Amino acid sequence: MDAGLIFQMLLAVLGAIVLYTFIGFVPGTDETSVLMPVTLAVVLAGVEPIVVLTFFISAIITLNLMNAIPTALVGLPGGVMSTPMIEHALYLKERGMAATSIKKMATGSIIGTAIAIPVSLLLANILAPFSDSVKEYAPLLFVFGAIFLSLIGKNKLLALISIIPLGLLFQGLRYLYWGIGAVPQEKNVTVSFFLGITIGPLLVSLLGLLNKQSREALPRHDKNEIRLNKVDERQTLAHPLQTITKKEAGTSAVVSLLSNFLFFLSPVGLTILFGEAVANKEKDPVKKASMAITSMSALSHATYLSGVIIPLIALGIPLSPVAVGPANALFNAPPVFTLEHNIHHLLSKGEFVFAIVFAGVLASIITYFIAMRYARQMTAFVLKKIPHEAILGLFIGFILLLAYMDAGLINIFGVLLVGIVCGTLNKMGVNYGVQFMILYAAPWITTHLIFK
Amino acid sequence: MKKNLIELWGDLVDLKDLILAIVICSVTTMGSFFLAPAGDTTKQLFFGLGGAVLGFVISTVLIKPKRTVIEEEEN
Repeated sequence: MDAGLIFQMLLAVLGAIVLYTFIGFVPGTDETSVLMPVTLAVVLAGVEPIVVLTFFISAIITLNLMNAIPTALVGLPGGVMSTPMIEHALYLKERGMAATSIKKMATGSIIGTAIAIPVSLLLANILAPFSDSVKEYAPLLFVFGAIFLSLIGKNKLLALISIIPLGLLFQGLRYLYWGIGAVPQEKNVTVSFFLGITIGPLLVSLLGLLNKQSREALPRHDKNEIRLNKVDERQTLAHPLQTITKKEAGTSAVVSLLSNFLFFLSPVGLTILFGEAVANKEKDPVKKASMAITSMSALSHATYLSGVIIPLIALGIPLSPVAVGPANALFNAPPVFTLEHNIHHLLSKGEFVFAIVFAGVLASIITYFIAMRYARQMTAFVLKKIPHEAILGLFIGFILLLAYMDAGLINIFGVLLVGIVCGTLNKMGVNYGVQFMILYAAPWITTHLIFK
Repeated sequence: MKKNLIELWGDLVDLKDLILAIVICSVTTMGSFFLAPAGDTTKQLFFGLGGAVLGFVISTVLIKPKRTVIEEEEN
């Protein structure tokens, strides 16, 4: 590996940190909608595969930690992965412990990353020899994935019932586009559909506003009053292990380790499942909340990293919610990457390990420093300057762009349809993980339904 | 002050400002997209993303956040 390439990797790490530090602090930014389009742009720009991987790994690490900070400071979730922490973070904040929260989250993130990287590299290598037989059954695995995620979710029957109709919607649109010549036969519209899933609940709420009666019935609010404690400014750079107890460190490490084996499940789901389980063991409310935010921060890093690293190295096909969602461009971004020719096929084992460790170590150190030092100032800046309307406008812009690029004008309406259906199902209780899996299982489901 | 804000996706918005932001971002995104040379998907994506960011910056300048931040000394 030459110096030029390492320099590019360094730039990729720094670029990802700068970009996702700012995005992470903005409340309400959804991981898929902010990670996917940018990663796609980096891939399509013709950047070396190893640099793309470096970029993505540092982006995840930065985004997951920075997302948690507005949650700790003001109780607004930075993104989907930080929503499980809200209740606990608010409890600590009310007790004037926001600064402690951030320190614990930052240390949790280091633990999660430090466990997930070696363990998922190891697991990927164990799984790799079986990759051919796994791939043979990949379409079935997506179907079982959808069923499994339905069964471990809160609304089992509802999710199960939604699998086939939703599969018909996705595949039906694809056949429509092929039939009228909107896209060539070999092109599978996917990217814009899963952004449609992601933004579905927002679309449903937005369209609901067009109904005069329901609009007038909505509760009206005055400006949000947000209190920021100046005491938080005295954040010092503590040694990571001095900010949390031995028990918190040990528990975070154990749950991070376990989550690696469940890489094919939804990261938010795993974070809630394990995080709440270990937090509920604590009787004292402050200890319980501290345990929750530390372990959940560790979990959000571990679940995300294993969800991208294991499928990428072992299989080369997206077989986890992270790989199907935000990391999709690493697997499938025609014309640069396809399911038969992507980062999995292009990088050697050594290159994988080097890129992941390089990005993991650098991004962890820098984001830890930023979180400890500038959390309060950056949150204050974002809250005072960035209107929520502009963020929603930005998302709508992304969707329009990617929908149009995928299959032209007709697909803008197709994605709107996907958004309305998936957003409605989401509000009824079918979670994102199930819906993403259905998107990938759709071809198998529809071709196996022909009985007459 | 009259209460006229509604909650959408975790934070408060003013409907008029929201429509303004959506219109601005849509126009800048798709406008930039069509400025890019046709047929070059990479350039189109970059122009489009650039346009989206431009729209975001313009909306940020034009629209005031619906939050009152109180910085307090405590303890």
